[in-house]
Amino acid sequence: MIDWTTERQLLTALVALPGLGFFGLALGWLLGWTPTEKTVARFSASVSLLDWAMTAALAGLMFRSGEAQVTVRFGDWFHVGSYAFPLELMVDRLSLPLILLAITLAGLIGVFSRRYLHRDRGFHRFYVLIHLFTFGAILVYAAGSFDLLIGGWELVGITSVLLVSFFYERPDPVHSALRVFAVYRICDLGLLWAVYLLHHRFESSVYSKVLAGGVAAPAICFLLIWAAAGKSAQIPFSGWLPRAMEGPTPSSAIFYGAISVHLGAYLMLRCQPLLASSPSAAWVLIVLGLATAMHGTMVGRVCADAKTSLAYASLVQLGLIFAEAGMGWNTFAIIHIVGHGATRTLQFLRAPSMLHDHHQMHDAAGGQLGNYGAYWESLLPGGFRTWLYRLALDRGHHDTLLDRLAVAPSLALGRLLGRTSPEGPSA
Amino acid sequence: MGILVTKERFCTQTSGRPVGTMHTTVDSNPLRRALDHAAHLLPVQGPIGVFIHHNTLHAFQHERFESAVVKAAGVFAAEPFMTEAAYRRDFARGRIQQADVDWVLAREPNAEVIAGRLDRQTLRRAMIDPRMLALDALSVSYLLDETCHFTGTPESLALWRACQRGMDQPAAKRHTASRPREGVLWSGGPDLDTFIHPLLIRLCAVYTDQGMAYWPMPGREKSFYGSVRDLLAQPAVLYLSQLRGLDDEFKKQRSSGLTSEDVVRQMSIRLGVPEGDWQSFLEAELLALPGWPGLMRLLERDPGLATHIHLPCSLMDFVAVRLTFTAVALVNTAGNTTAWRKVTAETESAAALRRLEAARMFEAAKAAAVTASDLERLDDAAFARWRSEVFDFSEIERRRVWHLSYERRHELLILGPLGHYRQSNPPRRNTKPPVAQVFFCIDEREESIRRALEECDPEMDTFGAAGFFGVAIDYQGIDDAHAVSLCPVVVKPQHAVRERARPGEEAALDSRVTRRKQWSAVVHGLSVGSKNLLTGWVTTAFLGFLSLVPLLARVLSPLQFARLRAALNERFFPDPRTELAFMRGDVDSYHATEGLAKGFDTDEKSARVAGLLCGAGLTSRFSDLVIVLGHGSTSLNNPHESAHDCGACGGRRGGPNGRLFAAMANRPEVRDALRATKGIDIPARTWFVGGYHDTCSDDVDLYDTDLVPAHNLDLLNRIRKSLDRARALSAHERARRFEAAESAHSAEDGLLHVEERSEHLAEPRPEYGHCTNAVAVVGRRAVTRGLFMDRRAFLISYDAAGDPEDKFIAGVLGAVIPVCAGISLEYYFSFVDNERYGCGTKLPHNVTGLLGVMNGHAGDLRTGLPWQMVEIHEPVRILFVIETTPERLMKVIGRNPELTEFVENSWVRISTMDPDSGEIQIYRGGGLFEPASPADAVIPRAASSVDWYRGKLEHLPLAEIARAV
Repeated sequence: MIDWTTERQLLTALVALPGLGFFGLALGWLLGWTPTEKTVARFSASVSLLDWAMTAALAGLMFRSGEAQVTVRFGDWFHVGSYAFPLELMVDRLSLPLILLAITLAGLIGVFSRRYLHRDRGFHRFYVLIHLFTFGAILVYAAGSFDLLIGGWELVGITSVLLVSFFYERPDPVHSALRVFAVYRICDLGLLWAVYLLHHRFESSVYSKVLAGGVAAPAICFLLIWAAAGKSAQIPFSGWLPRAMEGPTPSSAIFYGAISVHLGAYLMLRCQPLLASSPSAAWVLIVLGLATAMHGTMVGRVCADAKTSLAYASLVQLGLIFAEAGMGWNTFAIIHIVGHGATRTLQFLRAPSMLHDHHQMHDAAGGQLGNYGAYWESLLPGGFRTWLYRLALDRGHHDTLLDRLAVAPSLALGRLLGRTSPEGPSA
Repeated sequence: MGILVTKERFCTQTSGRPVGTMHTTVDSNPLRRALDHAAHLLPVQGPIGVFIHHNTLHAFQHERFESAVVKAAGVFAAEPFMTEAAYRRDFARGRIQQADVDWVLAREPNAEVIAGRLDRQTLRRAMIDPRMLALDALSVSYLLDETCHFTGTPESLALWRACQRGMDQPAAKRHTASRPREGVLWSGGPDLDTFIHPLLIRLCAVYTDQGMAYWPMPGREKSFYGSVRDLLAQPAVLYLSQLRGLDDEFKKQRSSGLTSEDVVRQMSIRLGVPEGDWQSFLEAELLALPGWPGLMRLLERDPGLATHIHLPCSLMDFVAVRLTFTAVALVNTAGNTTAWRKVTAETESAAALRRLEAARMFEAAKAAAVTASDLERLDDAAFARWRSEVFDFSEIERRRVWHLSYERRHELLILGPLGHYRQSNPPRRNTKPPVAQVFFCIDEREESIRRALEECDPEMDTFGAAGFFGVAIDYQGIDDAHAVSLCPVVVKPQHAVRERARPGEEAALDSRVTRRKQWSAVVHGLSVGSKNLLTGWVTTAFLGFLSLVPLLARVLSPLQFARLRAALNERFFPDPRTELAFMRGDVDSYHATEGLAKGFDTDEKSARVAGLLCGAGLTSRFSDLVIVLGHGSTSLNNPHESAHDCGACGGRRGGPNGRLFAAMANRPEVRDALRATKGIDIPARTWFVGGYHDTCSDDVDLYDTDLVPAHNLDLLNRIRKSLDRARALSAHERARRFEAAESAHSAEDGLLHVEERSEHLAEPRPEYGHCTNAVAVVGRRAVTRGLFMDRRAFLISYDAAGDPEDKFIAGVLGAVIPVCAGISLEYYFSFVDNERYGCGTKLPHNVTGLLGVMNGHAGDLRTGLPWQMVEIHEPVRILFVIETTPERLMKVIGRNPELTEFVENSWVRISTMDPDSGEIQIYRGGGLFEPASPADAVIPRAASSVDWYRGKLEHLPLAEIARAV
């Protein structure tokens, strides 16, 4: 039986609450309940506020007692013979600040969207998805095992895709959402395989067993890095990030400025002990992060629209956070994630003001805005500079590469298989 | 200077016909001519920072409204009117009545449909009935296959058979591909646009970028084509497989030294387009992505429209790049570049089309009580007539009739009560001057605050004049980086006016400028820095959490945060007292403003002052204080902010114009000149005060009040108090439209609500703008004073008695009709087809290049108005009521070709109100006026505006407000 301390109760409740919020809204919706915008917004605000209070209380209790972590074990999900899949929630100093950030920002987005989405046809849908997303994100942070983490990970992924295609009446958002979905799915394979291997090696995927200092095979680390790279849009998967800007601005802010894109970084921080045991994986992570940061800053320089330039600005910091994780600077990386999430959320929410703000700055500067960060590229020889610009303009050709090396062969394979299927070739 | 000259030329063009047809010399080069003609169809909207309302279908203005909208709908694949369902809903709620439909049908030519049995009017009346089934191919198959709708009873079966007659010829329509995309798509290939557009859009965006990206496109100062060619000819670059070989193509073009025109010519040959088809081909290619080339076209004609960086744009360059992409993509996908010309596609299956036609005829016959035997009795010719009568009254035609009925009801709802009110309250000629006179812009958004002011203080008079108040200036305030034109776009200012510190205040100004520069450097540094590699690392990791403070404050408590900011601004930026440098001969005020007269000399000043006062009919009975309020709108997170500013000030804020006008009218030498040359005697006690009204936050600011003479100070206080009360009442009235404002009980709540709206980051509707525009009244305020017009009427002060030679009315109408029509038509089109003519919902908009908005990361530049700005609009053509006689009006309009076009082609509705008898006559075209009958009009009465509108969200009819008279 579970020994229900206050901390454990709080932890369970704070994870469950957004999920219940989602079920309440979604089930009501399915049953034909059509609440007013005010009711939905109030409901959502209450859920956020209560959740925030519980998280703050949990943090306070843990701080006072000096406990490093709180774990709730709900028994096993299922057994196969003697093998069990335990269900376990866990928070520690790594996940608690991130949970607090996620709940704060999700609540804020809820308040913001009441105005922003007023009279939009998708108002209710948006709130349903935001609750599901919050639940997914908290589940990722509060999972005590990789199995449970996958659950949250997938919920965040699917809500992200559904919000990119929020305006599904137009074809572009749907195409973009499909692209995001495909990248997510391919990278999620990394996570699945990694967990599969973990089960093989440690006979469990519970953190306390896996991360307790066992030596992991580099293959597991690489698979986890693969998964994290997809979620956090590291190269060569970065191309989905600007495409995800088709959704409404507040969802762009919370997904691609603040929470969702940082989940990959969280995974890396969580797997720190595994990475530490495999220097080659740590190096790969550092190189990947730095390369992404370089790529982001190069592409970001040539972006002429507000949301894409913010997407690439996020990418730069995400790359650096990955590198920090590779170096093992955990505490610093958490601070960086929180600071970056807050900054970027504000910037995304203000993105439609770009014109207004630029005009004001320009006037205040007397018509002469300084060239900040300008032109390290101007040190390069002219011809190479133009070539580099071309490369940056096409976002490093990553999408083209993926299309030609992954998409086209898959489609060709599909056609080939279609030809040999028993029904014969389909037209 | 070159730019200024271009601007002048451009201005004369936009004021007249479709841009382009005004070319004085017809280009002898057929390609350029074809492109020029094709380009008429592109949207004419400049950078969004200065939003000018104009007729979206400017290119069709030389045709009559009713046919032009249908024709344009075909060209743009857009909607000409609201949907039939929408009109039916309006019918159901009584906004359209059967009498209106009958009235419209009765005015159209009638004819026999079935001899002795049925005429056209009866048929149409039956067919437009909302109970008629709206049929399409799918619903017909459903009815046929799944129900007994057509065959249920012997009568209907007979009728169904009778309707099949003459239907055995195949009616299939085949379309030939108008551009390569269709050809490839119809032959089972991929959609070319999906891989051409993203790259093309990105190239356009970085080329025209005004400072968003800090690595500017290399070589863009040369030309679009040149820089794109150099960039895309770079070696060792990966292309999508569909665009493979693009680099070689551009390399080839570069080595043969082709110009963009050579490329377009070569490409049209390669694509197999003969010279005769050039125009239609180019139209089709341009309309596939109209926003970006439209902008290029505008910047080509007037590079000065670009806010910061002037670039040599050229539509030919754009087409050269687009066609090169297309040719390469064709080679990769279809294998050759000409085969697409021969691809055809069937739009609808012949059988389905025939069934649909029969079904429509069936429904029409049923509705008009035509039986099977009636039809069987017809000979072939008569049956063909019946058939064509049914099909002539197509869905579009029905919507046209619906729309005219919709406007007819609007006309009755306005002209009836207006005429009735005029008859029962004939304007009195007072001799005593009012306590104060307040000038507002003609803007319909000022109607509520004018009425509120008259309600609070019935002894005040208000006037409406175009918000630049007759002073067309090139203006630079102390906080502005550059001078801007504050006047209608069709006018080019000749006079420079600068704001400067008053003597003794220079030090404060200097410190203000310096501190603002420092502030700007910090803010810019942080915003750019946060996106960079190293600075971004430092700012986000170490300072990032500080963002939580403004983030939480702005979202949770926007108004308090804005007040805190304002207080800090006041604390840290000294606010020097300033004055306007506008005097000719004043050496100090001469800044380097080439090509412009510096300020105004006495004659010019007195002419401006007299022009406004005479036009508004204010030449005697001056109060001690005359207030002149310009207007503008401030909102956050709103790329379309400028669309709410003053149209008469060229989409900018008109505060300086009011201030300048007041300063001019206060000059003793101007008053002497007015007395001597115009016979206008402004008493010495009278003082003019300029001011500014923010239509979003309903803030009112008065300028230079420290200069008001002591004997007027008490009065000034009274005016201030009344204006304060009036703006709160007006804000409260506005709040009724916002569903979010249900809690605004008192006027003060209303004011708080609108103030918060203007400061709210999440607010896509900071104000509803011109959304309610529908009417324009040109005449004395006395004819509308005391009427609740629901912020739907532009009110232009004009007194026919003081204008026997129709001099002023010519000027007033010359400015007002195009401006009001531009606003009304832009709202009309953005409403009836928000995706095509407007820019869709604001929520996914992404500001690009500081020039416009697009959807997502690679969309077309969206032009027109967003849904949130138009959602409560009633799409009617603006209805003018002009206080003059039909003869005088038609003389004035006949002399002005632009007005003639608007009026004779029915892009506006015009009526007159006799200045003496008050009789209203409405223009029906062809020189014909028809009296509007106010006989059965009743006008509701309410004690105050609040009593009339409280608790109602919808548009309200006119009402008499007891308190305002």
